[in-house]
Amino acid sequence: MLYEATGLTRTFKGRTVLNLEHLAIESHAIYALIGPNGAGKTTLLNLLAFLDRPTTGTLQFRGLVVRYNRQQLLELRRRIVLVDQYPILFTSSVWKNVGFGLKVRGISKKLRAHRIEQALELVGMEQFRQADAHTLSGGETKRVALARALAIEPEVLLCDEPTANVDQENQEIILQILQRINREHRTSIILATHYLAQSRGLADHTLMLEYGTLSDLTDEIAGNPVFPSQKIAMEE
Amino acid sequence: MSLLLDSLKSALSLLISLDPELLNIVGVSLSVSCSSTLIASLAGIPGGFFIAHSNFYGKRLVLTCLNTLLALPTVVIGLLVYSFISRRGILGPLELLYTQKAIIIGQVILIIPLVTSLTIAAISRIDNRYRKTALTLGATQLQMALVIVKEARYGIGAAIIAAFGRVIAEVGISMMLGGNAKGFTRTMTTAMALEYDKGEFVLAVALGLTLMTIAFGVNMLFHFFQGKTKIDVI
Repeated sequence: MLYEATGLTRTFKGRTVLNLEHLAIESHAIYALIGPNGAGKTTLLNLLAFLDRPTTGTLQFRGLVVRYNRQQLLELRRRIVLVDQYPILFTSSVWKNVGFGLKVRGISKKLRAHRIEQALELVGMEQFRQADAHTLSGGETKRVALARALAIEPEVLLCDEPTANVDQENQEIILQILQRINREHRTSIILATHYLAQSRGLADHTLMLEYGTLSDLTDEIAGNPVFPSQKIAMEE
Repeated sequence: MSLLLDSLKSALSLLISLDPELLNIVGVSLSVSCSSTLIASLAGIPGGFFIAHSNFYGKRLVLTCLNTLLALPTVVIGLLVYSFISRRGILGPLELLYTQKAIIIGQVILIIPLVTSLTIAAISRIDNRYRKTALTLGATQLQMALVIVKEARYGIGAAIIAAFGRVIAEVGISMMLGGNAKGFTRTMTTAMALEYDKGEFVLAVALGLTLMTIAFGVNMLFHFFQGKTKIDVI
């Protein structure tokens, strides 16, 4: 099992935004996390990326209970990477951005250059290697952020709305890259999305979040772009 | 008007001939100001980063105190440091009074709040996603801090320039703690005040011009590194 969570809650200023009795995520699969705005998708991704700690409950990664001490967090974070919904690139070149994760791991310059080239080729951004990162368009920024994440060859890739705010062409490229790295590198992928169609076409498993809790996702709902609460309201 | 023009003409000739007294005064000023700016930066930048990035009990009080200290008059600092380093003070045996070290101590106290406050402002403006991105890419806390400092480098650079500008132009601390001893603690500002008292304007004007040139040069250098000398015209 990749992740296993029990009684996981996250509260902000007295408001519980995530409340999961039990969550189990298997390795090497693509999971789609769907739900409306405010459902708790980003909060869950931050917890799974170990960038935030739960208010209550336990989280296990590959059978190891997360203790949230500094040393363990660093070790865990170096196996997982989160690509933000609105990724931000450091004020430097595309090359240096993609090489950041490798540099902080102390990887040699030669190997770093090889992995940067590979990652840029994978996302089709090799012609931008010397470009100033802040001159890129939204879609290009997302692709470079993806290359930066893939360069470190993570065990788990977490993507928050990977295709939000990008054009159709870039959306397709990004989805193809995700499928390819899952197939070729067996990288586990968990992506948050609004689009049920996207989850059906890409994911092996779909998790639906609503009001911070997991809902049972039926085939009926999977084929129909309504969320459980909307469905109940429609039935009423 | 003729007094000013005559003084200006004589001052320029002093500058062009590289007058030894003038050079000595400029040297003392630069040495003292650079030292105090360096020490204050070494303390104020990490301090500012810590305050900006931490949530601790009493943070608001610390910020209020820092903002209050920004308005601290140089004579108050001079008086305070004097009480410690004068012969009857607890640091009297160190014989710091009327030395360049005494001026540096006073100037550091003057600009630490400035460097810290401006660093806090610069760090606070940096998007939190930089921190999150650095951490998810496997950065340690120190590597993450360096990313933030790098992103805030222009703001921090501006803090250092402002601090340098403050100390190179101050007169109260230099006069009270340095004593304006010729060749030792005479800075550009204390020399200008003395020359004014004597009714001699030539050296004062020459020093004034030098002071302005240094300030302009430092700012030009900053803008050069900032890479903003080219302004896009729409």
